[in-house]
Parts: sequence; C-alpha cells; structure tokens
Amino acid sequence: MEKTPLASDPYNLVITGVGGQGNVMASRVLGNMMSRKGLNVTIGETFGASQRGGSVMSHLRISSETSWSPQIPKGKAHMIVALEPIETVRVLRDYGGPETRVICNTRPIHPVGVISGDQVYPSLEELRNWIKELTATAWFIDATDAAVRLGDPIFGNIMMIGALAGVGDLPMDRSDFEAVISQGMPKPKVEANLKAYDMGLELIEAV
Amino acid sequence: MSYLADDRKNETYLLMGNEAIARGALEAGVSVAAGYPGTPSSEIIETLAEASNQRKLYVEWSVNEKVAMEVAAAASFAGLRSLCVMKQNGVNVGSDFLLHLAGSGTRGGLVLVHCDDPGALSSANEGESRHFARLVEIPLLEPGDFQEAKDMIKWAFALSEEIKSLVMVRSVTRLSHASGNVTFGQLPENDSKAYFRHGGTFLDPLEGPLISLPVAYKHGQQQEKLRQAVDRFEDSSFNIYSGPEFPELLIVTSSACHLYSKEAINLLGVEDRVGLLKLGTTWPLPPKLMRKQMGRSDKILVVEEVIPFLEENVKILVAELAPEIGIKTFFGKKEGTLPKVGELNPDLVLDAVSKILQIDYEPAPQAYIKRAGELAAVAAPGRDLIFCPGCPHRASFWSIHNILQMDGRDGFVCGDIGCYSLAMLPTGFGTLKTLHAMGSGTGLASGFGKLGRFGMDQPVLAVCGDSTFFHAVLPALVNAVHHKSNITLVVLDNSGTAMTGFQSHPGLPVDAAGKEAPSIDISGVCESIGATVKVCDPFKLEDTQSTLLNLLEKETGVKVLILRQICALSPEKKSKKMYDMKIDETTCLGENCGCNRLCTRIFKCPGLIWGKEEKVAKIDDVICTGCGVCASICPSGAIIKKEVA
Amino acid sequence: MHVFGSSELLEDVHQKDLCIGCGGCVNLCPYFKNHRGKTTMLFPCTLAEGRCNAYCPKVEVNLDELSLSLWNKPYDGSPLGVYKEILAARSGKKMAGGAYQAGGTVSALITFALKTKRIDVAVLTDRKELVPVPKLVTQPEDVVKCAGSKFMASPTLAALNQGVKEGYGRIGVVGTPCQVMSATQMRCNPLNTEDFHDPVELMVGLFCTWAVDTRGLIPLLSECVDSACIMGMDMPPPPSEIMIINTGESNVEIPLDRIRPLIPKACSICPDMTSEWADVSVGVVEGKSDWNTLIVRTDKGADLVNAARKAGYLVTDKMPEENLQHLCVAAAGKKKRALSAAKEKGLLNTQQEGQRAALRIREDVVEKILAEDVEEVCRT
Repeated sequence: MEKTPLASDPYNLVITGVGGQGNVMASRVLGNMMSRKGLNVTIGETFGASQRGGSVMSHLRISSETSWSPQIPKGKAHMIVALEPIETVRVLRDYGGPETRVICNTRPIHPVGVISGDQVYPSLEELRNWIKELTATAWFIDATDAAVRLGDPIFGNIMMIGALAGVGDLPMDRSDFEAVISQGMPKPKVEANLKAYDMGLELIEAV
Repeated sequence: MSYLADDRKNETYLLMGNEAIARGALEAGVSVAAGYPGTPSSEIIETLAEASNQRKLYVEWSVNEKVAMEVAAAASFAGLRSLCVMKQNGVNVGSDFLLHLAGSGTRGGLVLVHCDDPGALSSANEGESRHFARLVEIPLLEPGDFQEAKDMIKWAFALSEEIKSLVMVRSVTRLSHASGNVTFGQLPENDSKAYFRHGGTFLDPLEGPLISLPVAYKHGQQQEKLRQAVDRFEDSSFNIYSGPEFPELLIVTSSACHLYSKEAINLLGVEDRVGLLKLGTTWPLPPKLMRKQMGRSDKILVVEEVIPFLEENVKILVAELAPEIGIKTFFGKKEGTLPKVGELNPDLVLDAVSKILQIDYEPAPQAYIKRAGELAAVAAPGRDLIFCPGCPHRASFWSIHNILQMDGRDGFVCGDIGCYSLAMLPTGFGTLKTLHAMGSGTGLASGFGKLGRFGMDQPVLAVCGDSTFFHAVLPALVNAVHHKSNITLVVLDNSGTAMTGFQSHPGLPVDAAGKEAPSIDISGVCESIGATVKVCDPFKLEDTQSTLLNLLEKETGVKVLILRQICALSPEKKSKKMYDMKIDETTCLGENCGCNRLCTRIFKCPGLIWGKEEKVAKIDDVICTGCGVCASICPSGAIIKKEVA
Repeated sequence: MHVFGSSELLEDVHQKDLCIGCGGCVNLCPYFKNHRGKTTMLFPCTLAEGRCNAYCPKVEVNLDELSLSLWNKPYDGSPLGVYKEILAARSGKKMAGGAYQAGGTVSALITFALKTKRIDVAVLTDRKELVPVPKLVTQPEDVVKCAGSKFMASPTLAALNQGVKEGYGRIGVVGTPCQVMSATQMRCNPLNTEDFHDPVELMVGLFCTWAVDTRGLIPLLSECVDSACIMGMDMPPPPSEIMIINTGESNVEIPLDRIRPLIPKACSICPDMTSEWADVSVGVVEGKSDWNTLIVRTDKGADLVNAARKAGYLVTDKMPEENLQHLCVAAAGKKKRALSAAKEKGLLNTQQEGQRAALRIREDVVEKILAEDVEEVCRT
C-alpha cells in the first residue's frame, strides 16, 4: 500500500466528549479509515466506569512509519475533536500547545455538579474566547443541533468526523468512511451516517 | 460475520488489543474459551463467542472465574487447546484451582489471559496478578504491542502444550482497550477430537489421572517444566533490545510500558544514550539472556506498572550475576524514580529518564501550561461519575436511601461490584457503606446480621446485581440463611452484566453466543433456600419503599427484595422512551420552601437541568430517556409524564 | 418571631432529642417524613428559612407573639390559658354507640361540624395496627372510627399539611397541645407569605400531660398483650399508677413505672396541658369516666358548642368547683415544671450568639410562674 503524507508524523489527535456521546465509535471509524490508507494507527481510549457520565478521551496516533504509544505525550496534540465544549479545555490543559487546533461541538452537557448547583458552567462566549486563546485555530459547530435535525443526537460524533475531513490534515476519503461504516451496519443506518458525515463537512466549510 | 474469524492471512487490520488476543487464539486453533466479564478483559470472550457462530469452537461466560478456569482446564485435559480469560481480580477468585492445576499439569494447550488494570481505570483496586505466576510456578508472558498480543497467544499455546503446563499471558488496560495495526496469520481448520485419558498410572502425565498428588513428585515436575520454559525464553523473539551497544542507561521494561519508554526516548532524542530491553517472557527470567543484556550498562531503570515485580526479579538475577557483570545502580519504583501507584504514561517515563540523565524538558511553553491550567480550573468543572439517565439504580437507591432514613435506626448497605458500586457517591445518595470483592456485600451482611447479641440493632442490607448474584453472592446467601442472619439483600436485577457490556449470565435465557439457554430464576433460587422473597419494579417508588420497609420491620432472617428493571443502556431499551417528560413551569416550586430543587439538587438525573434564569427545572430532551421516575419525586406534580404512543 | 431553616431544626430539635413527632414539618416538602412515630429528614435542604422550622413547636416558639395574634393581649401565663367557660360535656343522643375514650365530646363536635359544613375536612388521628397515623376525614360517619386516645406521640399535623396541599380552606383540627401550638404558629403566617389564608376553621385541643414514644411503647405492649387484640387504652388520673390495655375480653394493667421511661424528652419542656391555643379544649373529668371537661375559649368555639347542644349532638353540665380546682393545679404544675426544665436546659429565652431558644416568654411572666404556689394561684 502507498504511504500517504501527513500534516505531522505522528499525527496526534484527541477525540473527547462525555460518556455516551459515541466517542469510541468515532475514534474507531477514523482509525479504520486511516488504517485503510496503509497508515500505522494506535488508539488509546477510556472505557468502563468512566463512561458513566464521566469525561472520555480517545488518543489517536497516526504515522506512516511506526506504531506509537496509546497515550499522547503531554502538550503534543495536533488536533482536538471535542464533542462537548468544556472537555476541550480539559484536554488542552494536558495535551494542548500553542500549535494545537480544535474542532468543537458547542452543545454543552452539564456535569452533575452543575445540575446540582455546586459548580458553574461557563458561558459559550467565554468558552469560545478561552479556547481561541489556547489554540492556533478553533472551529465551533453545533453538531448536536444538526444531528437532532437529522433524527438522533448520536449522529453528532459522525458529524464531527465529517468536519475533521473538511480541515484536510488527514487523508480522509468519503469512500473509506462508507466502507468502514458499512461493516455490520444495516443500509438505512449507513445512509444516515453518510448524511451526517456530509453535513459535518458542510458545517466546517461554513465556519 | 466477523472478519476476525475469516482466514485473511497477511491482511492488516486495526484491532483492539483484546481482539488481537482473540485472533491469536483462533490462529492457535483454540477449541474452548471460558471467562467471566470484567473490564478490561471482556472483548476477548465476546469476540470468540461471535466467532463460535462461524467456527468449530465452544465459548462460554462462566458463572465465575474459578469455574471458567475449570471449564477451560477440562478441555485441555481432553486434549483440546483452550483459553481462559479474566480481569486481575478474577485470578484471585480462581487461584485455589490455579495452584492445583499447576501441580496436576495440563494436556492440550491451556492459556490464561488476565487483563490487569493499572491505575484502576475500571476497577475497585489496582491489584495485579503477575505474582501468581511466581507463586504457583508457571510461565508468564507479557505482550508489548498489538501484533505481539496476537502472536504471543499463539506461541503461548505451543509452549503450554510442549511443557504440559498452564501459561499465563498478562495484558493491561492500555493494550486490551487500545487499538493498533495487526497483520493476520493463517487460521487452521479445527479437527481436534476430545478424549480424556485416565487409565494410566498416577505418575503418567499423558495417560494417568490428572491430580496434583503425589505432591513432591508433581511439584518437582512442575519445576522441571519451568526450566524447559526458561530454555525457550533464552532465544525468544519477544525479548528485544534496541539501542547502542553500551548505553549510559538501560531501560528494562515490558507490556505497554515498552511503548511509553520508546516514546520517552524519542521525545528526549536520546536514542544514542539509552538502551531499551523489552521483555516478553517475564517469568521466569532467562538468565543467559539477562547476563548478556544487563552487562551493557551500569545504570538500569526498570519501567513497569503496579508492583515492582520485574524490578525485583531482575535485581535477584543481577545479584546472582554480580561476579560476572559487576554492581549496578537501579532506578525504578523501589527507589522512587517512578511512582509506586497508578498507571504510567510517556511523560512519567520521560520524567524519570530526564532526571537520571539530567536533561531539561518542557512538554509545552511554561506560559502556555500556566494559562491552560488557570483556564481549565474555571472553564472545566469536573465530571463526577453518575448513573446514566434512566438508570434503574438511581430509582432503587433513592428508595433504599429513603427507607433507611425513615426507619431511623442508622441502617446501612453493604455494596458489591457493578455499576451500582457508584451508589457510594452522591449519584446513589451515598447509600453504600462497604465495597469489596464480588459477593462480599452479602458475606459482610451475613456477618453483621449476627451481631445482635452484641447490641447491634442497625438494619443490615446488602445489594448485588443479577450477574454478581450467581458469581459469588449465592454461597454468602446460603451462609446467611443457614445461620439465621437477620439481613435484607436487594438484588438489582437489570437483566444483564451491564457494567461490562451486557454479557450473558445464568439468569438470562441466552448464552455467550446469543443462543437460547435455560435461565435460572433468582427469586426461585432464593425461595428454595428459605429466604423471604419479594419482587418489585424499582420505578414504582412507593411500592418498592413500602415493601422494603415491611421486610425490614416485619420479617426476621434472610429477606430478598428483587428490584427488576432493564438497564437503560440495554440494546432493547436504548433510545426507546417510555414517557415524554415535560415540566409545568407554573407549578414548579423551584428553590422555594416546599421543594428547594429536589430534582436537580438531590435526585440529579442528567436529563434534568436547572434553569438558572427562569428558576424552574427543565428537561434536557437530548439526554432524558423517558423513564418517568422524576415525575414521582416532584412534590408539586410539576414534572409531567405522558406515555409515548 | 425569628425563623431559621432545616439545618437549625436538626441541630436544635432532632439532635437534642426534642422532636415530639407532631407532623408539623411533614408534607410541607419532600424532605421530612414520619415513619412509625419518628420524624426524620431524608436529604439536607439548604434554605435559610423554612416552614419546617417556623411551625415546629420546639424551637423559637414566642408565646407573646402567639397570644397577641390570637387573643390581642400578651401572654400572662395563667394556668388554663384564655377561656370563656369550663363545662362538663358528653356526646348527645345523635352520637350514641361510639367507642369513646370518655364522653365522646370531640367526636360529637367534629361530626357536627362536618355535618353542618362548618368545616370541609377534619384532621384526626387513626391507628394502623398499633401505630397512630394522621387522617383526613370528610365524611361525618367516619369520625367515630378515629375515636379514642392513642397516648402515643403522633404525626397528626402531616394530615393538616396534606389538606392544605389538596386545597382545603376550612379545616378542623384535633390535636394535642404541641400539635395545636405548631398549627397556631402556622396560622400566624410566620414567613409572611403574600397570599396567605388561614386554612384552619376549627381547632379542637386535647388535654395532655405527656405522651409516650410510639417506637418505645409498641414493643412493650406487644410484650404484655397480643397486640392484635388491643381495642383501646386508658390512663386513669393520679394517684392511679397504671396504664390499662383493653383487649375486649379483659383489661391488662401495665405499671406506669414501665411507661415513664418512654416519655419523650420533648414533653418535659411543654408548658401547656390544656391546648391553650384552641377554640375548645377537651379532656377527661376526674371521677366521671363517661364525661369530658370542655374548655370553651373562643366565640367560634362557643357558637359550635351551643349549636351542637341544640342539635342533640352534645350534652353539657356544670363543672363542679372541686374538679376545676384540680384541673387548674395540674395545668399550673405542668407549666411550672416545664419552664423550670427548659430554663435549666438553656432552652428558655436563650440569648447566646448562634443559639436558639425552644420557648420565648416575657421574663416577668417566667419569674411569676416559677415563683408561684400552684395551689394558691388556683384558689382564686
């Protein structure tokens, strides 16, 4: 297989969100797309108890040369795809640097401490400013809202993958996406996912 | 159809470590696999169970890890290759059998895969199980990446069959639950026949009965097997050295720590100063190989997770070899260069190496790190673990908590292992007061329930899930009934092993492969041993609470309340709302006397939001699963449920 | 009066074991529940001011404020409170056949009030097995089912709060002195709620020297008799030193020495024997077991008594002077003992920063009561 050049090698990407948002699926879909391009992929993710409303993170290491550790070293994320806004900041604290870029879904999921009134969820305006301050580039899209229009908020994760394709850092082909998503998924669902992917692409181009 | 069970030789796929392990077992021609679910090990049996629909293979979720070991051992005794899988705690459960099995020996290749959880990412402890290999004197292998995870399993079967001993293979969360590229080997056709030979003499390992007697003889045999394993380890390709011939610092490592070490060396750019010895055969260590490798440097850093198992074993060998290779300076957990608890990562290894080599390293500019830290402190409120929206456990613990308060005798609940362990936190209203091993809640309750003669009059409760009930609660419950212990066991029956992803268990009408199986009725079992049994739907709060109060006050001896409601994440329930929920904002009392935000301040289902501006509760339609329970707790009837047509 | 929240209520009342379990805080919100006579809080509430605290008869009760609000005059500490007349009474022929504790006066008044629509609903105390439970009664014929003293502290006011929640605006309440005191505080609208309407139309108070802890008494009763057979209980006035349990076939006697340890601590600081804040108060009459003592306190109470008598629900008679004297001495004695106990425990007119009083009474009145000779006071 032909090796494809990457924006950086290894390319370090974090997909983050809250348990139940489809973080793991997003990381596997993207990983498989990269694997189909002949790239070495390592994914590290949080499973189990952390899924129960906790913050979740998948680390993707994409390289044309070798396999890397399933945990990205501190400060070395090139891209953060965030399904939830405050998770963006949490990941930036540990894995961000001045060159890090971010695609952020703007739909908040309130931590239980915010629901109970013990903690404060910052305003979206503040969050945007802070995220911009900590990144080289930040795209904000309302993927959940678009996903609800598509019929199910769970499509938010695929929409973010579509948006990532729009950035152009990685050799992401729609045909690879279709091939990956078609494995073990009924046809109508594949269609809906393709639509979500395309909508994500459109959303990021519109930013 | 799973591609994992197709031949596809030489093709490369992105596999989760657990899938790679399963593929390795398939490539080794495994016939039987048994295990008990536990993060991070569960996907191995799941993958094989799926493959069993395509290939000649028997896979089961056993009732517990000890039985799983026995089921797998039986296959081995009958000449088949078999695999046994569990998380670290499971090895403790099976360890009694393990010791005997090491003595009796095996026939068909028998491999025990145990997945440790350094840092306890999904465990109640970070205990590890490598030391069992040393304790019972059997070989231990540790894969260092995804390809090895597959290949090493195949090799482990061959080794086991050659030396007629169980072989342990240890994975960790960051391998089992991480993914990487794996190139497939050939899948053999399985034409194995099962037959248990037992007509030979006691001392005949191939034809005689399989027992660990006579002990001294069998023990000697066992040690001989280990010597054979060490011979194979000396030139194993799983032990790899990379780096200069005589580095300033030699890192000795295994498992995922090998990837962290590699990353640290790369980031620091010290490839010409640091050597990396990745060991795949970590017990017993091969002395000839070690003599050659340890001679390379005077400084040795051992990188591993949880207890300093490798470090101690290396030190012993190096001490023995001192006359030949001289005295070494060791770095690692013992002297504190690496943390003694928690999991490692590239940065921790990087810190250790830069300290030893006196290199300055900054992951990002200081100003950036400072600012990001400041912003995260205000912008990223922490996320406590909570029960999912619509989780039956929230309703169950609401009732249990409330009736214990109403009862007013300072009663308490002994917890157990499952999602419901979270009930020690505010999401379960802090209801659980003990949490130990599988089944320990009921065992502890059985003991507490006998302390009445010492003046203890607190009501004693225990909880367990349906899978846990069969795993280890049953013996404790029998104990409690037999000894007339005064306890109430609440079985939180959500029809699945929910915590680990809905694996089957003996209470369900399906097996691991999804085929029909006889289910064992929990209430029938409890009744038959003489407990007073009631069954309620935990979503019916009033019914549950009055039943529980009655059991606590009116009945003596062992009482069992089964709270039956399917897990909100179960495939049959997911994204199906029972009710459409809405809030009548005119009747919502909000922060006023008479409510003070009971739903968002105390009940705290994530499907509820506190509207700070409007001072009323709201429903988050994206998150709400429509279970309807919050309508029952609202004191003013402001939460309205409407049945979904 | 000064109102605090639930955390102070827990600190001042529950932790000091002063909760009598009257039910005044139950059903106002989801936090307080009473189960088998014991009131507990399920979860903490963070409000600085709450009705739970404001209505509680054991914390920051200002008798002057209650008296000014009800009687338009300061609290003077007289043994029987404010009243118009004291009569002997029993149920009339319209009320024949009830299992009354004594004369059936309470049942008669409440039945009559419901029948004549003076009240829409009555807050009474029923029994579930042996446990006293609050009950809302709307049908006149259901009143007699709740007849009979329970002697146990009961959360009757939970039914009052429930009635208010259900929208009843004219409620009749039958309660012990602590319950009447709690309900009276509620009637004074202590939180100054804007659209407040007093839901209590009729307050019938009961005489009470002390109650018995429900959770303590039930095991004792079960030990002495088959609890399923218990038809009623009685405690004859002093010098009798027994509690009598009527099992239908025979009477079982339990010595008071076994009962007294079960008296809640809260009773020791209660200054009220005759439910001084009620429209009418009812108790037994010494020496006449089928008659009641009836204290008529308000115009409303007098009107009810007259109408009930006219309609054949109630019979009244003059109360002998000697009985009056005994009643007064008993009431004055309880008041004096309670104030002295409250003072000793630091619960009377507490001044220290960060601490609350159980009772507030003008100092001169306190001094007068503590100094008086009860026999002497009752002679006039």
